[in-house]
Amino acid sequence: MERFVGTFIRWLITPVVLVLIAIGIYHLLKRLGWKHRQAMGLSLISPWIIGFLSFIAFPLVNSLFLSFTDYNLFNKPEWVGLRNYQWLFTKDIEFWPSIRLTLSYAALTLPIGVLGSLILAMLLNRKINGVGFFRTVFYLPAILPEVAVALLWRLFFNSESGLLNYILRPIFNLFNMGKPNWFGDPKFVLPAFVIMSVWGIFGTNTVVFLAALQGVPRSLYEVAELDGANFLKKFLHITVPQISPIILLQIIMGMIGALQVFTVAMFVRPTSAAGKFLNQLVYERGFTQLHMGEASAIAWVLFIIILLLTLLVFKTTPAWVYYEAEAKR
Amino acid sequence: MENIAQRSINLKSSKKIIGKVLIYIILIMLTVIVFIPFLWMLSTALKSEADVFSWPPDWIPKPVQWNNFVDAWRTMPFTKFLQNTLFVVLLGMVAELISETIVAYGFARFDFPGKNLIFVILLSTMMLPFHVTLIPTFVIWNKLGLIGEFDPLVLRAWTAWGPFYIFLLRQFFMGIPIELDEAAEIDGSSPLQTFLYVLLPQIKPALLAIGVFTFKGYWNDFLGPLIYLGNKEKYTMNIGMYFFLGGINEAPKWNYLMAMSTLIALPVVVLFFIAQKYFIEGIAFTGIKD
Repeated sequence: MERFVGTFIRWLITPVVLVLIAIGIYHLLKRLGWKHRQAMGLSLISPWIIGFLSFIAFPLVNSLFLSFTDYNLFNKPEWVGLRNYQWLFTKDIEFWPSIRLTLSYAALTLPIGVLGSLILAMLLNRKINGVGFFRTVFYLPAILPEVAVALLWRLFFNSESGLLNYILRPIFNLFNMGKPNWFGDPKFVLPAFVIMSVWGIFGTNTVVFLAALQGVPRSLYEVAELDGANFLKKFLHITVPQISPIILLQIIMGMIGALQVFTVAMFVRPTSAAGKFLNQLVYERGFTQLHMGEASAIAWVLFIIILLLTLLVFKTTPAWVYYEAEAKR
Repeated sequence: MENIAQRSINLKSSKKIIGKVLIYIILIMLTVIVFIPFLWMLSTALKSEADVFSWPPDWIPKPVQWNNFVDAWRTMPFTKFLQNTLFVVLLGMVAELISETIVAYGFARFDFPGKNLIFVILLSTMMLPFHVTLIPTFVIWNKLGLIGEFDPLVLRAWTAWGPFYIFLLRQFFMGIPIELDEAAEIDGSSPLQTFLYVLLPQIKPALLAIGVFTFKGYWNDFLGPLIYLGNKEKYTMNIGMYFFLGGINEAPKWNYLMAMSTLIALPVVVLFFIAQKYFIEGIAFTGIKD
């Protein structure tokens, strides 16, 4: 039990320090002329602000700086300008394949994930018995430890005698091909990861969509039915606009999630020839090879991709996202 | 006339029934698809090593190897790893629940300059990819001399590092009528008493949901322990599994790995079934995902 003592003591001291800081902030603000409740409010949220400044804002700026340096954790970071980026874009043989794999994975799984879970939620939104049961079942994949799931997939996709290749045998015979080496062949890594993600989509997304669908007023559909609207019309003109803010949220969070595959890939372990995801490269360059500068550069490339894509999605929102509050104005 | 009307009603209702049956068939098929990998995990966990890759695949292990669970557990110091995991889970969970409740209370019940801007920043941190801040964060813990300790995994929890949960709790606080606070104050209760005895009982469902979410988060975490815990004494279950899997060229012992995977999945699944109601309401409420 000795190994827990140090951490436990520091874990007890941390909140005491945070409370003392909060009290200090309160008195400082009072002295600056803030009202009691104003000073109280800011002091209450001060733990988050401290965490944000020291573990998000500072690291964010710092990692940008590190991406322009040569740094191995032991020496001082040495400024090298754009060399890390240059190296990545022109010399690192794993970088472009990794960009391609990561982006194609996101491009394929995002629409499948959002549409698939929306359709499933619409099925569950019908007046059927046992919604609770199905909802629970479809949520299961989302709560399991990724480690267990990834190991399970690795066994399932085993090229020689995995269950998947056994189940898909008739299809392979049809196309006259052998059993695919899912995680060893660059052609099959992407499909393999897409299949894994499809299994996982019956999860959180469906529950969120189901809740959103249940919030759509029934009266809207009834009016549309009187006007003779068919299923597709009701879907496009009532369901989609009504739940569009949730769809937007799902697209953005889904995109960010899809670009950050890590744990599963680390356990499934595609061969180097088959390809790596960007986050795996960050880990390898940074923590196994100690090229912290280059790892930061990869992380920033990923960050900028996410920023650009998010902006792009937001640009399209006036065309399709419907906010009731605005419409009422 | 009547007959035709009757017939069209029959047609309509039979169409409805067919539609319903179709939906059930789809849902049941999907259920089977969800369960196949699970069953395969269990079945493999109970096989002897020679049977793992029998061709054609066998669903029923013969004979059933119950002692796989015990043998797999003994191949590595998993008892120690379990203690380590529970330590991290407990400390992280408690710190998060306390700090996030307080921060959410501040956002929900007090007004101060800059509050809305700060809240927007808080929400936007949800979109920040974890790996961007990973290296400098590692450098910070390295400077503090705490690499290899549990500290990087649990101390930050005190700074309310789960923006989703703050959001969820804030929503719950805002759902409680402010008159309740005021009535308590008129009755002479201090702000702290109001918070503890009036507001906290009201947000119990949210706290339960977040308890489950954070348990799952710390229990399932892999990247954090992977980079911060270098010493075998301090490995968590997931890191133990990573090394149990062996090197790239080693043939994994699949029956043992599946037995351990089953054991790792079990606590989360059990907890999920117990607290399902709150859990699902929690996500539905905010539209969160992890």
